[in-house]
Amino acid sequence: MARNDLEREVMAKLWDAREPLTVRQVHDLLSRDRDLAYTTVMTVLDRLAKKGLVVQQRADRAYRYAPAQTREEMTAGVMLDALSATPDRDAALAYFVGQLPPEALKAAIEKAARNIER
Amino acid sequence: MTALLLGALGLTLSLAVPKLLASARWPDRAPVAGVLLWQALTLTAVLCALGVVLAAPEELVRAAGARHPETVAALLFSLAVAATIVTRLVVSLVKVTSRARARRDRHRMLVDLLDRVERHEGLGGGEVRVLEAPLPLAYCVPGRNPRVVLSGGVLDVLDREQIDAVLAHERAHLRHKHELVMESFTAFYQAVPRPLRSKAPLDAVHLLLEMVADDAARRRAGHAPLRAALARLADAVPLAEEVTADPEGESRRRRLARLDRPGRRSTALAVAATAAAAGLLVLPTVIVVVPWLGRALNTWPF
Repeated sequence: MARNDLEREVMAKLWDAREPLTVRQVHDLLSRDRDLAYTTVMTVLDRLAKKGLVVQQRADRAYRYAPAQTREEMTAGVMLDALSATPDRDAALAYFVGQLPPEALKAAIEKAARNIER
Repeated sequence: MTALLLGALGLTLSLAVPKLLASARWPDRAPVAGVLLWQALTLTAVLCALGVVLAAPEELVRAAGARHPETVAALLFSLAVAATIVTRLVVSLVKVTSRARARRDRHRMLVDLLDRVERHEGLGGGEVRVLEAPLPLAYCVPGRNPRVVLSGGVLDVLDREQIDAVLAHERAHLRHKHELVMESFTAFYQAVPRPLRSKAPLDAVHLLLEMVADDAARRRAGHAPLRAALARLADAVPLAEEVTADPEGESRRRRLARLDRPGRRSTALAVAATAAAAGLLVLPTVIVVVPWLGRALNTWPF
């Protein structure tokens, strides 16, 4: 399985879990329907932690991992990132289809993000 | 004389002509040629600036009578100025492209992680990613490993044909490497000293590239689905009240208008604009070569 797919699935498991998970727990969740080495999961979690996407907590002699942001927060961040690159400051990061004023979209995303926090 | 001519041409091309071209509406009917014309305009203005810098000292020296130390100093100075112009442009281009690449790499990694795979089965193409968000948003992230990103909101408000039209639009951007065009204009914009900068070419080219992608999507997915998708994506966003000034509203209207009247695309305009672009590019050379040719003919022995 491609490395990207595995990273995505690990993140999905962490997001779905209510609490930080150990490597063992993530490994159990992922290896239900396939053969997956424990060390592979450990490497993936380590890599995600290095990228700052996952935070590592030490509890009861075992490391536990939790997403740095909720899926909603990260999604809002990604969309704002795409919208905030205007060609005069930076080459556009992305090309949008239905050209709306970026300010309007940003306002909508930020409003949605505030609603989530409540 | 050559330097004066080049200077006048350069000033016209960097001040007066962009204003005219930015306010013209005919490029909507031949967007590819419009982009070419903008590129030729910008490149010719740079060539003129270089030409002035290099031709002026030689002419001054000739007018004043050649004395050795001054000639060398003037020549060195003009070479330094020309080198500065070229260096500024190159540095700006490197900066803009490397910064864009880094941001896109990180963005791609994040959309890959957030992707809801189960929502885009059957949409085709391994580069499609779906974000879990109600706000309808569709865009592409260009690069060697490009992505087309749709939000869940897009899948909710558009039907299958309209989604295909949106995908075709984004894939046209990626296939035609529109990011390279935008990056070069951004690099030029940032290389120009601040008081002389103008955003007009950036905005105009950006809109023309959208029209090019619209045309490609229209050919591939049909005109009606594309138009419906454009209109619906914009209407589906609840606009905050504080946003009243609507700079993009005008460009959206222009894109929809040209989709309503598909017959108004003009081959003649495209040919004329392309010819104008080619003419512009050779103009500085002609200005330099013609006086030289004149002098050469005067001294011809027959």
